[in-house]
Amino acid sequence: MKRILFSTIISGSLLISSCEKDLNLTPISDASTETFYAIPNDFIQGVNAIYAGLRTYPDRQLNLSETRSDNLYAVSDGGVRDWEGINSFHKTIASNPYVTEAWSADFNGIFKANTVLDQIKKNGSIITNEALRTRLEAEARFLRALYYFDMVRTFGKVPVIEHAVTATEALNVSRNTVAEVYDFIISDLKFAGDNLPSPEQYAAADKGRATKYAAKGLLALVHMTRSGPTLGVEGPGLGLNEWQDALTLLNEVIGSGKYSFIANSATQPNAYASIFSYTNENNAEVVFDIQYITGASPVLGSTFSWLLAPDTWFQSQGKNIQGGLTIRPVSNDLLNSYQAADKRLAFSIQTGFTFNGSTETRSFFKKYIDITKVPVNRLDWPINYIVMRYTDILMLKAECILNGAAGTQLDVDGIVNQVRTRAGLTSLANVTLSQLMDERRKEFAAEGLRWNDLVRSGEVINKIPAWIQAEDVQKQMQAFVKEYIIYPVPQSQLDVKPGLYTQNAGY
Amino acid sequence: MNLFLKLPIDSLHLVKNLIGQLMLLTVFAGFSYAVPANSYNRAADVVVSGTVTSSEGESLPGVSVTIKGTNLGSATGVDGKYTLRVPTASEGGTLVFTYLGFITQEVPVNGRSVINVTLKEDVRALEEVVVIGYGTQKKGNITGPVATFNADNLDERPVARVDQAMVGQMAGVTVKQTTGTPGKGMSVQVRGTGSISAGNEPLYVIDGFPLSPARPDVNGNYATGNPLDNMNPNDIESIQVLKDASSAAIYGSRASNGVVLITTKRGKTGKPKITLNSYAGTVERSKKLDMLSGEQWIERATEMINAQWAASGAGRTASQSTVDRRQILNSTLAADKQLGPNDVNTSYMIDDRWAMPGYPGLRIIDWQDEGFRRGLMQNYQLSASGGTDAVNYFVSGNLADQEGMVLGMNYRSYSARANVEVNANSKLKFGLNISPTFSITKDPGVEGKDNILHQMVSMTPVQEDTMGVYVNVGNNGQYRWSTSPNSPISKLEETSAETRRFRTLATVFGEYKIINGLNLRSTLNLDNTDNRFTRYIPYTIQGALAARQSQLTQNTSGSFSSYRRQTFVNENTLSYNKVFNKFHDISVLGGFSYNWDRFDNGEFNSNGGYTNSVITTLNKAAGITGTTTGTENVLLSYYGRVQYAFKSKYMFSGSVRRDGSSRFGQNSKWGLFPSASFGWRVKEEKFMEKVPVISDLKLRGSWGKAGNYNVGDYSSISTLANYNYTFNGVQVIGQAPNRVVNPDVSWEVSNTFNAGVDFGLISNRITGSFDVYRKDNSNLLLNIPVPQTTGFTTLLGNTGEVRNKGWELELTSRNYTGSFQWTTTANLSHNTNKVLSLPGGQTQILIPSSLDIEHSILKVGEPLYSINVVRQIGILSQTDITAGAAMYGTQSAGDPKYFDANNDGVINANDRVIVGHTTPDYTWGITNSFRYKGFDLSVLVQGQNGGSIYSLFGRSVNRTGTGFLDNVLGTWANRWRSPEDPGDGEVGKTYSTFGRIKNTDWLYSSNYVRVRNITMGYDLGKLIKTKQIQGARLYITAENFFGSDKYDGGFNPESSNTNLSGSNEYPEAGDYGGLPLPKSLILGLNFTF
Repeated sequence: MKRILFSTIISGSLLISSCEKDLNLTPISDASTETFYAIPNDFIQGVNAIYAGLRTYPDRQLNLSETRSDNLYAVSDGGVRDWEGINSFHKTIASNPYVTEAWSADFNGIFKANTVLDQIKKNGSIITNEALRTRLEAEARFLRALYYFDMVRTFGKVPVIEHAVTATEALNVSRNTVAEVYDFIISDLKFAGDNLPSPEQYAAADKGRATKYAAKGLLALVHMTRSGPTLGVEGPGLGLNEWQDALTLLNEVIGSGKYSFIANSATQPNAYASIFSYTNENNAEVVFDIQYITGASPVLGSTFSWLLAPDTWFQSQGKNIQGGLTIRPVSNDLLNSYQAADKRLAFSIQTGFTFNGSTETRSFFKKYIDITKVPVNRLDWPINYIVMRYTDILMLKAECILNGAAGTQLDVDGIVNQVRTRAGLTSLANVTLSQLMDERRKEFAAEGLRWNDLVRSGEVINKIPAWIQAEDVQKQMQAFVKEYIIYPVPQSQLDVKPGLYTQNAGY
Repeated sequence: MNLFLKLPIDSLHLVKNLIGQLMLLTVFAGFSYAVPANSYNRAADVVVSGTVTSSEGESLPGVSVTIKGTNLGSATGVDGKYTLRVPTASEGGTLVFTYLGFITQEVPVNGRSVINVTLKEDVRALEEVVVIGYGTQKKGNITGPVATFNADNLDERPVARVDQAMVGQMAGVTVKQTTGTPGKGMSVQVRGTGSISAGNEPLYVIDGFPLSPARPDVNGNYATGNPLDNMNPNDIESIQVLKDASSAAIYGSRASNGVVLITTKRGKTGKPKITLNSYAGTVERSKKLDMLSGEQWIERATEMINAQWAASGAGRTASQSTVDRRQILNSTLAADKQLGPNDVNTSYMIDDRWAMPGYPGLRIIDWQDEGFRRGLMQNYQLSASGGTDAVNYFVSGNLADQEGMVLGMNYRSYSARANVEVNANSKLKFGLNISPTFSITKDPGVEGKDNILHQMVSMTPVQEDTMGVYVNVGNNGQYRWSTSPNSPISKLEETSAETRRFRTLATVFGEYKIINGLNLRSTLNLDNTDNRFTRYIPYTIQGALAARQSQLTQNTSGSFSSYRRQTFVNENTLSYNKVFNKFHDISVLGGFSYNWDRFDNGEFNSNGGYTNSVITTLNKAAGITGTTTGTENVLLSYYGRVQYAFKSKYMFSGSVRRDGSSRFGQNSKWGLFPSASFGWRVKEEKFMEKVPVISDLKLRGSWGKAGNYNVGDYSSISTLANYNYTFNGVQVIGQAPNRVVNPDVSWEVSNTFNAGVDFGLISNRITGSFDVYRKDNSNLLLNIPVPQTTGFTTLLGNTGEVRNKGWELELTSRNYTGSFQWTTTANLSHNTNKVLSLPGGQTQILIPSSLDIEHSILKVGEPLYSINVVRQIGILSQTDITAGAAMYGTQSAGDPKYFDANNDGVINANDRVIVGHTTPDYTWGITNSFRYKGFDLSVLVQGQNGGSIYSLFGRSVNRTGTGFLDNVLGTWANRWRSPEDPGDGEVGKTYSTFGRIKNTDWLYSSNYVRVRNITMGYDLGKLIKTKQIQGARLYITAENFFGSDKYDGGFNPESSNTNLSGSNEYPEAGDYGGLPLPKSLILGLNFTF
């Protein structure tokens, strides 16, 4: 009897101990980080995922930069639209979905970049092709810098994360100073500028990946942005004088000969429109863009094209509603700034329409909409979003010169008049910084640059209050204070661990 | 018919009276113990009287006294005295004294006129054992709250599913009949809901085999199987529910929602018994939704179109004719867009036939009447059982066939079971339980949002006569003023959607008696389910007419999906039971088990239509997309329990279980789940002898900790997801981690305190128990906000706490015990829950809604899923508006008036207030059963009170500003039409343009009372006196025939078929078009050979 009992216990405990390893199961149908990053292709896919994070970048620029600026006067929906608080300078936008999205999407992109960079450091030898390894690292760092640059312009001080952190670690990472964030961005972009391929070094299938010149162009803008005035706010301007550093980089981009200014021609009388054409993607103006296609599953198309266009307009065109909801009208200030001959006006802006017997007199941006290309799925538009185009590079160069970098007024006038000619306008002489910025406003309308331009130039401090005064006939807008240059830290983040971050001044 | 003619006239009379009084008796009718009037008053009889006492000298009331071999009898009164007229012919006969809990005694009359009898207590009743986790226990020694459902009588009424059998039977066990589709699983909850995201369904253990605890998906459906699927209720001997952690904790990390122990029938030593149970009957809807009739729809549509016309421009008035309107419209339209003489703009012009008598050329269709039907159901079971000293067996086969209450719905199942035990020798016993089952379910997709029932309800009730009910299918177009769905009737008839499920439950066990009292038991269990679902929808019932005619089979679609769920469990226990020195009753149990679950899923869909219009399998699809996935988990457990009883007076029980699961994080692989309970049988104390009215009294107290391990199979493992991108117009694959992992993620914890009393009064004429409990669920599995520097917004972790508190009362009263027996069993339970804390110290979380703004809230101090909406307080009048009443957007007179909760002068989302909670406060059930001679009658009434439904289905058929196309609730007939004709003050005007906000329009009370079951049977054994037939019973059952609820915006207050939150994080299964409960009338026959 005892023997039976004894052997039962023995065999039972043997069984149990051999079973205990069964408690460590790996997923059957999901890849886990433990088994991934095993072949070079895994790293490429890891980097692709960082690009994928950019897919919400255009909408963010339109919501937080374009809508914040004097280009739109979108106050008239009684406070139910998320964009109204942004446009009307509400103090209480710390829970605004657009603000929240910026913080979370950028940090998710940074996390994906850090994950790949950590893995390259740890298991990079798996990628035996050293050039590929360097390229992947440089792409990851370029993208990380792009995300951080978006953050510093949106929020000022943000935590700098160099590695993927656990939830526990994250609770001890507070915000770095604006200068520290810039240092981090600059070191990433320098590495990227030194190590990324030139466009022609990529295979055709890789068109759209970050290039050496995209990094240099972006770095130039970084230098320019932190050369802007501080205006007593913690970011993004640091009042530095790095216009010359920026100019050098811009000249490298220009001197590379990889890009060109698309001018009007006999076959292309409105070259401006062709830059955004659905059939002319990856054109000579594109320094860096975010790419979309339609018809993929899951969806890889875009939504930014209709974001600022009202649903009723699509209906008036016999199309399904897209999701832009009600109209986000273009401001009278912007409308009036266009000269009648300006070809860019009719292309960028739809002035009024009639639907279902009622006439909408206000205008809206339709720059990215080709009404013949409405996709089956409203979230699946095929058009790319140009983050940085060659005209911008040129105009940034003019801006550096006007801010004291090497160059002549002739250089400046040349650049500005090239742009004006394409728009069908007459030339100017002795272009001032203010004129340059006005030209930028029209050239880059609806491209999500306006707020950043206002801040970099410092014009924001005078122009916005004056604009509110003139435009806000409905008396819906709040007074602008300089703290509104940057956005509040999302409330959800302040709530995670009270005291870890402090709210930006003014909110 | 002959059978009935033979019945004694007076008993028929009595039955008639009984039926007349039935409704009265179904409520607590007050317990009466009067001796029934003696109806046998004949001159020549001899009067016999006497007193019946217990061995302790108490007089026993209600003892049945009958004359053997006759129908004559009486019963004792409260003083234990009886009087009985014995016919002269029976003077030499024998009196039979029967009383529950006592041994039946037969006393020859022998010409005596006074016969006093002392009945002995039937100790076997006290020795009665009930099933508990890993064993059995004497009923008298139970120390935790265990609800018992004796399934003895289960085969006396027709029951299609085991969960259905439990409805209304046990206090604290709420069975929600969430669906009207035959064969589908219901929702079972023990003592409320304590988990937000990890499920609230109990663990099912069948004959000691713990089944994989599948929980409903976010929609409330058991899309991946329910543990009770295909289980034949006729095979079940008893069901025990372990309600608190003290009794359930032996099941550790799976027990926090209670444990349901199911025991199937086994053979008893004796000659073979063969039983045939069969029944057949009809099934139909128990409720119809009140929608506008065709005439009312026309009236509303006319009013609305006129209003739209009048509002569309200057000079346009309601009185203008269709011709006028066409002219006016054409004057504004470009030449190429002019309306021709037969063209209409349906937004601005009515169908002129609406105004003509008899609506020429149109047909009024009641879509509900067209789609519902009276179906047939039938069931046949044959079983054989018996045993010798060496072998006992129970073998059964069952065929069930059930047509649904809606066209195209059908459920058929075949099941078999063999339970065999072999005593190899005096020490070794082994056995096999095996139950293969197969079922076929046909459901064209009736319940749920935008599914067929939803369309049957809201489809335009006026159609072109030429199409009949087959509108917008085949070559039929669509009535211009109709909604666009394809005919729901065609969908019911032509969609082919079939689930074939093959499930086998098997257990092999061996038991070795090492010494007397010491037993080693080992079991191997396997549960294998193979489920295949095929669907085929022909192009003829899809899309628009033009597409049907031009694209043909390109629009046909088909799919095939399958899953296999396997559970393997090995349990090994060593138990020791012994009574020392007569008084010390000790049981010790120790064991370990290995539990493995695997789930494999495959799914294939046609892509781009079919190449053939006849073949329905996917080989004729133009293209196919498909995928397969798998997931598994392992649970290892050690457990032990000590039970001690002293003289059956003081009892103690303690258990502990240690569970390790592959689902738990690296830092929390193992959890410990202890429990302790005690009992004091006060009745055994000397001082209780002075209180003879109390025949039994036991106090119980318990505490225990249990877990809920539904954390997902790989929650603690860092996984990757696809984040694809595109370069130069070509898709590229991107992959990155899709979550931040928590190495501490673990089970949810429930801590339960329970205090209870079991009692018996008046010699156990009334028995019952009362329990109060508090159950705190903590470490809830929720998403905790984390700094987004991790890359993510939340981390799955254990946080938050919910408290359930309540009490339960169970009562059984034997009101009459003589030849006429009347027993009432009742249960009543009260439960409330509230949120104690939420993740990250939040005080509230607004639960997203799949439609519109949030209407549910988790708020500290409030019940789970409280309903948080704007309150409707009447209809806005012009006076209100002039006085500055708060309004929502562009409201005007005749629109609903809302309560400005924050008093800021406008109505918006900030005016939402908590107006109710979803779980009922009280649930109850009462069964009255009667027996008289060969007749039996039982009535189950059941209900709930105090809960609310927020019905998005109600919203879909009753929205402010709903266009005229969709049909709306019948209440719209009483709407506001003008200040002079304001209707009933609840429904606003039909043409309202302000939109809508989540408000109390769609709030309904979930209270209901339902006569679930009335069964009347007659024991044919009284008539058939052959040796072969041991028993025969004929019965008739009415299920769900009577009842009332307050859910006017839907069919069934307990329905759940759609995730109202649209979120996986905070699932909120609710009603969006659930079928009514089936109402059935069934005739059944039981034979025992």
